[in-house]
Amino acid sequence: MTSPIDLEGGGTAAVTDGGPGAEKKKSEDPGLVGRSPGQLMWLRFRRDRTGVIAACVVGFYFLIALLAPVIAKLYGKNPYTVYADERPELFDSAGVPVQPNGGISAEFWFGLEPGNGYDVFTKLLYGIRTSLMISVAVTITVVLTGILLGVTAGYLGGKADYWISRVIDFLLAFPAQLFFIASMPVVVALFVHPRDETPTYVRVLALIIVQWFLGWMSLARILRGTTLALREREFIEAAKVSGAPPWRIIRKEILPNVVTPLLVQSTYLLPNFVTAEAGLSFLGVGIVEPTPDWGQMFSKASTELVMQNDITYMFFPGVSMIIFIVAFNLLGDSVRDAFDPKTAR
Amino acid sequence: MLTGCSEGGSKAGNDKNDKEQQENAARQQSSIPFGDDKDSQGPAPEVPGAKSGGAISVLARDSYAHLDPGQIYVQDEMAVSQLIHRGLTGYKATSDDGRKHEVVGDLATDPGTTTDGGKTWKFTLKDGIKWEDGSPITSKDVRHSVERLFAPFINQGPPYLQQWLADTPGADYRKLLPDGPYKGKHLPDTLLETPDDKTVVFKFKTARPDLPYALAMAGYAIVSQKGDTKTKYDRDPVAAGPYKIQEFKSGKSMTLVRNENWDPKTDPLRHQYADRFDISFNHQYEQSTKALLADNGKDKTAVSFSNSVDAGNLSKVLNDPKLKNRTVTGYQPYVGQMNINLSHPELKDIKIRQAIAHALPVTPFVRAYGGTDAMEVAGGILSPTVSGYDPAFDPWGKKKKPAGDPAKAKKLLEEAGKVGMKLTFGYINTPEGQQYSTAMAAGLEKAGFDVQRQEIPAETFYDQVSQLDNNYDIFHTAWGADWPSASTVIPPLYDGRAIAEGAQNYSQVNDPKINSEIDRISKITDPAKAAAEWGKLNEYIVKDVVNVVPTGYYKQVQIAGSKIGGLVYDDVISGVDPRRLYVK
Repeated sequence: MTSPIDLEGGGTAAVTDGGPGAEKKKSEDPGLVGRSPGQLMWLRFRRDRTGVIAACVVGFYFLIALLAPVIAKLYGKNPYTVYADERPELFDSAGVPVQPNGGISAEFWFGLEPGNGYDVFTKLLYGIRTSLMISVAVTITVVLTGILLGVTAGYLGGKADYWISRVIDFLLAFPAQLFFIASMPVVVALFVHPRDETPTYVRVLALIIVQWFLGWMSLARILRGTTLALREREFIEAAKVSGAPPWRIIRKEILPNVVTPLLVQSTYLLPNFVTAEAGLSFLGVGIVEPTPDWGQMFSKASTELVMQNDITYMFFPGVSMIIFIVAFNLLGDSVRDAFDPKTAR
Repeated sequence: MLTGCSEGGSKAGNDKNDKEQQENAARQQSSIPFGDDKDSQGPAPEVPGAKSGGAISVLARDSYAHLDPGQIYVQDEMAVSQLIHRGLTGYKATSDDGRKHEVVGDLATDPGTTTDGGKTWKFTLKDGIKWEDGSPITSKDVRHSVERLFAPFINQGPPYLQQWLADTPGADYRKLLPDGPYKGKHLPDTLLETPDDKTVVFKFKTARPDLPYALAMAGYAIVSQKGDTKTKYDRDPVAAGPYKIQEFKSGKSMTLVRNENWDPKTDPLRHQYADRFDISFNHQYEQSTKALLADNGKDKTAVSFSNSVDAGNLSKVLNDPKLKNRTVTGYQPYVGQMNINLSHPELKDIKIRQAIAHALPVTPFVRAYGGTDAMEVAGGILSPTVSGYDPAFDPWGKKKKPAGDPAKAKKLLEEAGKVGMKLTFGYINTPEGQQYSTAMAAGLEKAGFDVQRQEIPAETFYDQVSQLDNNYDIFHTAWGADWPSASTVIPPLYDGRAIAEGAQNYSQVNDPKINSEIDRISKITDPAKAAAEWGKLNEYIVKDVVNVVPTGYYKQVQIAGSKIGGLVYDDVISGVDPRRLYVK
């Protein structure tokens, strides 16, 4: 049970001392301290500098996403104001900001969006908010479904396992991206009254449903495998022999033991959902103007108008998303290392 | 880190626009006159500095779906048909900038003569006019061309001539000759008379003073009776113009070569400078713009008849002085207008319609298409290319306050007691539509409307908004005149008796004064007088009926390779004039 981090500190001690070193190695600290797996994980994670920085970055994103309305209020603007009509002197007739770098100024910190002239700073904040909100919701629903179906299949085995696994196989065979594009308008149309505008929450809901529908299978499969292995372990058998009902066994014996793959997988899943959601909005089937969204900012940035006249605009959604995805993936790696130090990278 | 990444927008001032406005003012009320038989004689006046020879590459976006004249009603097909087909009449440019025109005889010796105010029109064919196989073009071909317009497979072209002959609106004209000329039936001499090989006489029950304009449309060019292959003619027509089709690979390319049997002495409109035109398809606007800007190799002698400079590259092209002599700009015939659906009861209140007209910002529309170089703020529903246009007419102050006047609108809405009323805005789901509809909705909301935006797929947009029972309170459409007369704008769009499923009276307006004025003005035979009257009716519709709010006059900028000579934007073709191009 020695982590690579332990080796750095404890390795030398093992050489200098002889016999007692072996004792020391097991628990670093002079006195033997009992630690739960959770505490051990936390300890290892804290020592991983990359992981901590990544966690801080990710935390920062979630914080600004949560506080977006507050920040926008302090900043005094909102992402819905059409500045090209409110402040026409800042734009030419095609809606390109007259000042260099997309009109970055003390008033508009990140400049103005070519076209309708939305404020880029608040738009980015709200865009991050929308994207993260959707992705977190998708992750939660996917995790719940994954647990439900994965653990059921693994624990019950037999026919239930067979059918759940076939459904998983079937859904995995779907071309996900194509399915998203094709089904988004259909799902949206299910909800909307013909005289009203499609409310944003319907689009959000549709995005969540569509991504959830094809997102839960890999997690369910992993949980099924883990549960299958756990089922044959002695402590489960002991619980069975002592007459514990299946529900109790799943809750008290199995679930705590699948927390590790669950956490690791969901930290990998979330950034995937962020990019998938951005991709859909980029293609025009996700969140649409004027609701701010990360992916939609990309699609704006890729228009010829922005490419030819205001390349600066692309940096804001681009750089912020790269940082977020890289940080989240590094965080995922660190979480995995902390839980499962034996796996070599 | 970010400094110097992008330079910011163009700083084109207002002085340019003012100058343009004045130019437009000069064109005000000047309708296109009819030339005489001398103007109709060939050859066409030489283009200064023109040379013979060389090949011109043409970058086109869409492959030509139709080459049969009877099926041609789309601008890109109309442009290429200028090189292949000939009609009884045509527009002759009388200035080198492609802005002034007169209607002359093309195959006919004059633009038509009438002695009874437009009920009977007589045309005499020229001598020496031939098809590409060398056989002469006779009045039999003209009769055949007219009669086949009634055949069921001809369903894409303009309907004017057929409706006039049958004297019925809509599609009822087909009953006149259900099978066309193919089953032995012909139009009687009381409608179309061809007494000899050279004479064609049209006889209408109602005066049709616009006939010479209508016959100049590519859709009424002449089809060879001998060479008519019915539906196959659409791919391989017989040429009468200066070029014939050597090869046409649909969706890929088309090669036009000189037609040796075309005699320049018979043609007052066309030239035959280049040896050939190599047309290739599937070039999107960005792509053709980039290729022509780069100006390498074959692209030096390249041009695009119909592609305009894409919105993103527009300010770059216009601000580069080196590109000036290979850039042309001009008006397209289209006028954008926001329709207010009068079939909805709440919108029957004129105060609400006035509030919409005051509140609606047109700047989003101008922006979405690339700025004032691509779209000019409109005052009325008649475009600057249509006679009767008045640049000073601006009842809703859109030229001074293009971003709308929400304060005035709010007052009107309060008077009507409808603050916060729901307004369903159906917008076309294109990048432009998404962009302008959001900003327009923001503008209307400032005035106190509760705007509900609804996307409509681009492919079915016009089908959906032309349904009588649609959910949209407001929606934006564009309409282009078929010839520079308001008679191809106001009657189809605003005649209350033409309200029908799928018809073009999108706002479903049925105003007795509009209807009676349409009938009255249609009978005026003097084009100049008619133009003035149409202009007045336009003012009545926009100012007093308020069933539409004019938004913009479409313009476009086109560029060509550096070795292309004779580059002119022709207002009538609404694009580069292909007839006068040569290789430098």
